[in-house]
Amino acid sequence: MSAMNTAATETTWTTKRGTLAQSASMAARSLASIKHYPAQLVDFFMIPLMILLSITFFMGGQMMGSWQDFLQYAGPTIIAMGLFFAVTSTGLGLYGDIKEGVFDRLTAMPVSRFSLLAGRVAADLVKYAWALLVVGGVAFAIGYRAEGGVLGTAAAAGVLLLFLFAASWSMVLVGLTAKSEEQIQTWMISLLMPLAYTSTIFVEIDTLPGAVQWWAELNPLTALADSMRVFLDGGTPGGEVWALLGWCAAILAVFVPLSLRAYRRKLTN
Amino acid sequence: MKYAIEVRGLRKSFGDVNALDGVDLGAAPGTVLGVLGPNGAGKTTAVRVLSTLTRPDAGTARVLGLDVATQAGKVRERIGLTGQYAGLDPNLSGEQNLVLIARLLGASRRQARARANELIERFDLAHAATRAAGKYSGGMRRRLDLAASVVRRPDVLFLDEPTTGLDPQSRNGLWQVVRELVAAGTTVLLTTQYLEEADQLADSIAVIDTGRVIASGTPAQLKQTVGGQVLRLSPARPDAAGQLAQLAEWAIGAKARTEDGAVIVPVAHAGEAQAVMVRVNQAGVDLAGFGLHEPTLDEVFLQLTGHRAHTEAEPEKEMAA
Repeated sequence: MSAMNTAATETTWTTKRGTLAQSASMAARSLASIKHYPAQLVDFFMIPLMILLSITFFMGGQMMGSWQDFLQYAGPTIIAMGLFFAVTSTGLGLYGDIKEGVFDRLTAMPVSRFSLLAGRVAADLVKYAWALLVVGGVAFAIGYRAEGGVLGTAAAAGVLLLFLFAASWSMVLVGLTAKSEEQIQTWMISLLMPLAYTSTIFVEIDTLPGAVQWWAELNPLTALADSMRVFLDGGTPGGEVWALLGWCAAILAVFVPLSLRAYRRKLTN
Repeated sequence: MKYAIEVRGLRKSFGDVNALDGVDLGAAPGTVLGVLGPNGAGKTTAVRVLSTLTRPDAGTARVLGLDVATQAGKVRERIGLTGQYAGLDPNLSGEQNLVLIARLLGASRRQARARANELIERFDLAHAATRAAGKYSGGMRRRLDLAASVVRRPDVLFLDEPTTGLDPQSRNGLWQVVRELVAAGTTVLLTTQYLEEADQLADSIAVIDTGRVIASGTPAQLKQTVGGQVLRLSPARPDAAGQLAQLAEWAIGAKARTEDGAVIVPVAHAGEAQAVMVRVNQAGVDLAGFGLHEPTLDEVFLQLTGHRAHTEAEPEKEMAA
């Protein structure tokens, strides 16, 4: 180590960077690891891709007569479901972050707590967008066509990403409170899957058992699936989109404050 | 301001473990306070409280006159922290780690890169600047960790066992950096398990054990308390140990003890060791060997507390988790 005069450079930076800028720095940090481990780019879309292909080809024909019809009805929403399952990675990623000492350092710095968490969510959203692009491309390649055209597809992708953003925050809380990685995986299986299967992701509401129907109506994934379909089919958006926006707002209103509280408990105990 | 770091009656327990049981500490601005103690003594908890990461149950802790509990935000503006576990992102390169911290602290992209490069040069990491920090060696990681805590030059720097597990060369390099930071006006609180490290760096030392300060003062004062050095005499015949201890007490009035057949005599300086040796020589007791060395932490503890340091205890982080 050579001689050091730490006063050489002015280090009292006057630029005031707000919460959003700090979140962006944290998001860039989460994404920077892709440069060192580029194989992650494949990991991000493997699960939703495999879910789409296996369900479409192995079960689609049985469910709707031909897999092509099934793809046209359920392809986009199955992609949505695959990405919805992938939000577990937000919880796992945060859990891993906190296990490393880096969050101790960041917590002892004058950085907003929200940014430290939002950075992870924002980075994951970029990953979901990437996976959506790839898996959506595959769906198009095997024959899916949206009647709503480019605009409708973009709107459907938009509402999906908005929902994933909100859902990620619930995983932030899970990541901050989980005792182990296995626990996070268990959460995914036991909570996310039933949620998906009692919605209109795969099926129309009147095909569900009566007792489940009232829940299926309420299910946020029904709101998501119906909103995506209305945009993709070029229909006129209505109540389903409002229901989805309401759900997103409600999820954020609950989980952002709870996550911040969990963060305080976990890192400044 | 008399103290840059001022701790009074600090208490913190995790479950039924009293990590801090009424700790008082003080460090004048621009000095190094060494907090010396074995694993599990409460060192890490004290650093975590002072760096706003742990809320104390009772007592006050002030950094630069700011209360860490009620003015945590202002404290964070002025401190640097190198925890016991590397505070780095293992997936980022050394340079990216430093740039991230500078950016979070408000530097522009250009300023952040300039500061990162400057620190990488100074901490001798240029050859590994673009490699993932997770692949660094222990010494390199420590240097990067320290660089990360001085991205913005802190007024108070906390170093939690900065050299544990380092080879002597890396350790000396780190000591040099700490000295330079202090020369530039930074106040440093450093925890360590090594008396030598505290002696080398600290202006004042607090010895803590099971959450309490059991001795404090300048290194010289402390060494006086525990005997500056340790003379170890191994008798040729094991049954001569008692006689050797007696001779040592006659020679310099020191209370000697026996350990593994050898006689351990605390001495204030080399002259006292010489006096003991003369007396042993006159008495005609044959020695198999002898040596003069700095007291180990264990010996300091034995002297101060009458019991051995719990060096086998679990790391404190486990307790805090």
